[in-house]
Amino acid sequence: MSLFLGKMCERIPGHKSATDHESILDIMPTKEVYIPLVAGNNTNFEILVNEGDQVYIGTKLAQTKTGFNVPIYSSVSGTYTGQTKRMHSSLRPQNHMVIQIDHKQTAIQAFEPIQYENASAEELLEFTKNSGLVGLGGAGFPTYVKYLKPEGIHTILINAVECEPYITADYKLVMNDPKHLIDGAKIMKKMANAQHAYICIKKNHPDMIDIVKQAAQGSDIEVKEVPNVYPMGWERVLVREVMKKEYDKLPSEAGVIVNNAGTAIELARMMEYGEAIANKIVTVSGEAVKRPINVRVPVGMPVKEIFEQTGFNTDSVRLMAGGPMMGKVIPNDMFVIDRAMNALTILPGTVDDAIACLRCGSCSDHCPAGLQPVRIANAVKEGNLEEMERRQAMSCIECGLCTYICPSHIEVTENVRKAKRALALQKKK
Amino acid sequence: MKFNFHVSPNLKGKQTTQQIMRDLTIGLLVIFLCACIYYGMNYGMRYVLQLFLLLACSLLTTLVCEAIYAKILKIDIKTFLKNSFGWVTAIILTMMCPISITPFALIIATIFAIVIGRLLFGGFGQNIFNPAAVGRAVIFAAFAGATTDLVTSATPTATIASNYHWLPATPEVFDSFLSEYGGFWNLFLGNYPGAIGETFTLAILVVGIFLIVRHVIDWRVPVMYLGTIIVMTAIIALVSGIESYNGIPALLWYPALHLVTGGIVFGAVFMLTDPVTNPTSAAGRVFFAMGAAILTVLLRMKANLPEGCLYSILLMNMFTPMIESAMDGNQLKIAKKVWITFACFCVLALGVSFFAGSSVEPVRELNTSSSATNGATAFEMPTIQEEVSL
Repeated sequence: MSLFLGKMCERIPGHKSATDHESILDIMPTKEVYIPLVAGNNTNFEILVNEGDQVYIGTKLAQTKTGFNVPIYSSVSGTYTGQTKRMHSSLRPQNHMVIQIDHKQTAIQAFEPIQYENASAEELLEFTKNSGLVGLGGAGFPTYVKYLKPEGIHTILINAVECEPYITADYKLVMNDPKHLIDGAKIMKKMANAQHAYICIKKNHPDMIDIVKQAAQGSDIEVKEVPNVYPMGWERVLVREVMKKEYDKLPSEAGVIVNNAGTAIELARMMEYGEAIANKIVTVSGEAVKRPINVRVPVGMPVKEIFEQTGFNTDSVRLMAGGPMMGKVIPNDMFVIDRAMNALTILPGTVDDAIACLRCGSCSDHCPAGLQPVRIANAVKEGNLEEMERRQAMSCIECGLCTYICPSHIEVTENVRKAKRALALQKKK
Repeated sequence: MKFNFHVSPNLKGKQTTQQIMRDLTIGLLVIFLCACIYYGMNYGMRYVLQLFLLLACSLLTTLVCEAIYAKILKIDIKTFLKNSFGWVTAIILTMMCPISITPFALIIATIFAIVIGRLLFGGFGQNIFNPAAVGRAVIFAAFAGATTDLVTSATPTATIASNYHWLPATPEVFDSFLSEYGGFWNLFLGNYPGAIGETFTLAILVVGIFLIVRHVIDWRVPVMYLGTIIVMTAIIALVSGIESYNGIPALLWYPALHLVTGGIVFGAVFMLTDPVTNPTSAAGRVFFAMGAAILTVLLRMKANLPEGCLYSILLMNMFTPMIESAMDGNQLKIAKKVWITFACFCVLALGVSFFAGSSVEPVRELNTSSSATNGATAFEMPTIQEEVSL
């Protein structure tokens, strides 16, 4: 512990044992899937199929018109019946493509497989670009963009940390398919022309470390054990821990590219089999779930149908798309599983019991970005935009640790969000 | 099926403010118990009853003040009392007073501490000054002579300040001081008169470690405060050329003497650490503690007060907003600024030490007229002061 800095992280109970040893449950939607036309902030898509068209698993459905190139492939076989506006897990109504499924699940090859051992870095990059692969850790950022400028990159970090409580989807993915994880790491290393590739796993998963080490034998991929703290899986914290480096905006400034383990596995599978993202493993867990379990569902699966299988314990719940720390609470069950989603967390309803701030500074001590949430909150209270900016509210990634740690149960993160919103609004003007 | 909305995150840690205050209360009561044992064994039951009377007066006054405040603002009284934690202020204030204080003076001081020190600022979490210190300052200013017939002997702080200028320079002089209080270990254990809670250095340190481990107080504050005092007094020992004692060099025994005498350990653990009046950043708290240490040493060595802990706390409270504002921003990016500030504080501490060490006359010969005065405690005592300054 440093004299002038706090811990900048915290050990949070993982609650992972509810789901990590259960086998994966396959669920298919009964009638329709709704494929969200969303890629990060981008919702400007060109539809490549016509209403009434027969589509198969792997049929290219749409492509972004502006911004980064992200194609979307079908996750089921059936008939495309048009677009509809539905609630999206980003809490906004978005366009979704409706596909009536025929329950045959016929698959076609989405693109030509490629042998990564023989391909050049440029070919690999081109493949990744066409594959529509986005970061599967939650952000949904197109993967290929990180590899556009590989100059100065010396290390690839594969993020298998999964530091959000309750979620075991990545754990399941890695345990079931360590070979493709290693392949994915090799591909990424080659694509960035990096010297090292480390797979980062939490110390408290010895079984996972063993299995990955075994799979990595004979290759130049190494396993790095990292402490069991939150938010170890944030790339800034991961680079700090493994590389002992800080950076300003992007990890590439420290010569590092960070990719999620699920993304690496998916990339390796795409190259080997020529198939696009169709299915997702999603952890359904939390105190209000009757049967916590990992489910495998096609992209676009309505969550309501998942809950028919898992059930609720109580009548009043908080439903999160994602984990309890960073996942957004969605006040209904009308949304669908998107490509970057890996968990549904359901906790019992709660009553707010916040009391006055005692200025203990715990939020500042624990902030992984080195910010002072309490000071930003003060600036919000005063409506002082200048101070909000000086206190660097914009560097907050809303990991939620400040609210978690606050002994007075104040929604600190929400206060910082308010500062971010105010600053963003001011910028627009 | 009801899907509630709630802003993320949706998990809460275990520690609550209520728990922090409960731990702090337990810690304070342990020290209060030490006081009961000390006064019970040395002076008898009447003194113990007086301790309880004083504590009860302060607690009741707090209760009444806060209840009236809640009534006026039309807040539910029970909830307000529960979440205002006024009792902590009351206990600390009581423990800072000498046992000879009249209940009346303590009641007035409590009113000032609670009403002016806390409620007028907006209640818990809003006050600028440590409320207990405000109350103590009121007693210092207005009730110096308000003492009962409960008599204890002179406090070592008063004695060392008035008779030894805080600088007993030879083993003989130091021995004569120690012999008045039964030796160094007696001082360390707290077996001597002083403010009710301040004397039990060992017990306070143990409670302090407990509170640090439980994350009730930040380790930086007591460690940096006491650490800076140790370093500064060691420098003073070197500069003033005081002699080693029974083979222990002056730069070891002299800082130890400062730690076991008076209220700095109590202040370090229970008062400086008050989060409400601290800067919120780790670096800020370090500078806050260092500043308080520098002021304490300066006041002890050079001012007309036997001891500077109380005033160093109040003075540093005033600097808290300034330190806060200076330490704003991304803590990783201001690292350089933090180190420069740290260096400045070190230079300041060094300067004060040299100044005090070279300008205070060490006492090398036994002063035959070392008659001690009554009732002086580390947290003040103006009556002796006048004698000293005369």
